[in-house]
Amino acid sequence: MSAAPPDNDVLWARGIVKSHHGTPALRGVSLAVREGEVLAVTGPRGSGKSTLLGCLSAQLTVDEGEVWFHSSPVHTLTRAGREKLRRERFGWVGSEPHLVPELTARENAALPLLLAGAGRRAAHTAAVEWLERLDVADVAGLRPAELTQAQRQRIAVARALAPLPPVVFADDPGAPLHREEREQVLRILASAARSHGLTLLLATHDPEPAGQADRTLTLVDGRIAGTATAPAAGSTAVTAAR
Amino acid sequence: MFPLRLVRGYRATDLGRWLLTAIAAATTAAFLLRSLGRALGEPAATSVPRLLWCLPALAAVGWLAAAAARAVPAQHPERIAGLAAAGYGPGRIRLLIAVETALAAALGSVLALLLFLVLRNDIAGPELAADLGMGTRLPAAAPVTLLVLVPLVAGLAAAAAIPLDEALPGTPAAPPAVGFHPVRIAVPTGLTVVGMALELYGLRPGAEQDGRPVELPAHLGSVGTAALTGWAFTALGLALLTAPLLALAGRLLALHRPGPVRLLAGRSLTAEARRLATPLAVLTLGLAVLTAALAYGDDPDVPVTVAVLLLVGCAVGAVAARALEIHAARREITATLVRLGTEQRTLTAAAAARAGAAAAVLLFTGGLTALFAAACLV
Repeated sequence: MSAAPPDNDVLWARGIVKSHHGTPALRGVSLAVREGEVLAVTGPRGSGKSTLLGCLSAQLTVDEGEVWFHSSPVHTLTRAGREKLRRERFGWVGSEPHLVPELTARENAALPLLLAGAGRRAAHTAAVEWLERLDVADVAGLRPAELTQAQRQRIAVARALAPLPPVVFADDPGAPLHREEREQVLRILASAARSHGLTLLLATHDPEPAGQADRTLTLVDGRIAGTATAPAAGSTAVTAAR
Repeated sequence: MFPLRLVRGYRATDLGRWLLTAIAAATTAAFLLRSLGRALGEPAATSVPRLLWCLPALAAVGWLAAAAARAVPAQHPERIAGLAAAGYGPGRIRLLIAVETALAAALGSVLALLLFLVLRNDIAGPELAADLGMGTRLPAAAPVTLLVLVPLVAGLAAAAAIPLDEALPGTPAAPPAVGFHPVRIAVPTGLTVVGMALELYGLRPGAEQDGRPVELPAHLGSVGTAALTGWAFTALGLALLTAPLLALAGRLLALHRPGPVRLLAGRSLTAEARRLATPLAVLTLGLAVLTAALAYGDDPDVPVTVAVLLLVGCAVGAVAARALEIHAARREITATLVRLGTEQRTLTAAAAARAGAAAAVLLFTGGLTALFAAACLV
C-alpha cells in the first residue's frame, strides 16, 4: 500500500475501478479534493459521475483503487465504519429528494443530526435555521407529500447542510427543478460551502454550475477527460495559496 | 403458459405464496369433496349445513389469495415495469396475477381430487366410507363443479385485490393518509360500547330465565341471543378500531422528545396503520375466538380442527404477505436512511419498537374479544 496522501487533501482517490454487475462505470479515476474546495464533476449521462460520488462518499465499495478521507483509508472500512463516516462527516443531496414520507419537513432536516446523536432541541434549531435560509421554513410542519418537488429538494438540501458536515456531496441536485430553481439551489449550496468552509462535490451534466465551482472535472466513459480551473481568480487564488 | 413461464424468475417468498395457496385450496377442496361424498349417501336436508361449513374455508382461501396477490406489484417492481414496457396495461397485469393464483389453487384442488378418487377405490377403511360416498356412483359433473369453485374464488379475489393505480410503475404512491375521519372512529367505538352493554345485559344475574336459544356449532354449547349479538358487535367494533388504535400507538411512541428510534418507529407505524390493520385484525379476531373456544368448548372433532387450522393458517399467511408488501414498499425509504448513515442497530431497534407497539394494540383488542367470547360461553 502506498504512503498516506498529502495532509491538506480532504478526499484523495487513486485508480478507482468500479463496475455494476459487469458494466464498467469507473476505469481508474484518481483525484484530490482540497479542503473548502467546490469541485464540479461534469460529463454526459452514464459517464460515471454518480458512481464516483458514491465511491467517494462511502456508499459504494470500490473494486480496485484507494479512497482516503483526511489521511485515513475509506476503502478498507467495514460497513459500520462507512455508515459512521456518512453519518458524521458527509452530507448527501441526490437527484431526487428521497425524504422520509411520514416525517415532517423539519424532522426530515433534523434527522441526520438526531442519527449522529445530537440533542433534539439542537437538531431542530439547526434544521429550522437551514429551512429558513432555503425559504421553506413556512412549510416546516408539513409532510413531503403535501409539498412541491422544488420544496422537497430544498428540504433535502437543508438536511444535507444542517449538520455542517466537512464534505457535502451533491449528485445532480438540480435534476428535478426548473432552471431558475436549479440555479438558486446550486448557488445556495456553493455559498453555504464557502461561508462555512465545507468542501462541496457537485456532479452535474450541464456546464452551468461550472461558474459556481473552483475546479471542474470532466468524466467521459469512467475516465477523467479534463480538468479546468475557474477563471474567477478570487477563489482559485485562495485554494492555490493553501 | 405465460404465467407459468414467469414463475421461473421467482424466489422463495413467491414459491411460499404458491405453496400456501395450493395447500389452502387443497384443504378447502377436501372439505367440498367430503360434503359431496356424504351427500351421495344421505338425504338432501343434512348436506346443506355441511356445505355451509365449506364457506368459511372458501372465504379463507379467497382472503389469502387476495392478500398475497396484492403484495406482488410491490415485491416485483422491475417485473411490472417490464410487463408495462412490453405493452401490458393494468388490466392485463391484474389478469396475469389472478391467473397465476388460480393456477396454484387449481393445482391444490386437483391433488385433493386425486386423493379422493384413490381413496374411493376401496383403499380407505370403513371409517372413511361415509365421507367418501363409497359404493355409490360418482356423477362426473359434481366433483368438477366443486373443484372449479376454489380456483375461481381465489382468482377473483386476487384480481379484485390489486388496485389498478398501484399495478403500474411510475405512478407515484398515494401519500400515506394521516388521521381518520371522525365517523371512521365513532362508528366502531359506538359498536363496541353498544355490543359490550348488550352482552352485559344478556349476562346479567337474572338472565337465566331468558333461556339460551342459539345452539352454537362445533359442540360449543348454547348461548343467549342478546349475549351473542352483543359479542358480535363488540368483536366487529374492536376489529374496525384496530387501524385507529395502531395509528394512536404510533403517535404515543413518538410522543415527548423522541430520539431517532422512537421517531422512526412511531411515525412509520402511524403511516402504515391502515395497511397493517386489516390482516392483523382478522388474525386477532380468529385467534381470540379460537382461544375462547378451546378454553370453554368440548374437544372438537377432526374436521373442525382442520377447518380452524386452515382459517388460522390463511390469516397468518395474509399477515405475512402484507408484512412483505410493506417491507418491499418501504425499500426506498430504508435505502435513504442507510444512505444517511443510519446504523443497522437503529433500524432493528425501530422495527422492534414498532412490532412491540403493534403487539400491545393487538393484545388489547384480541384480549377483549376473547374475554367477551369466553363470558358468552361460560
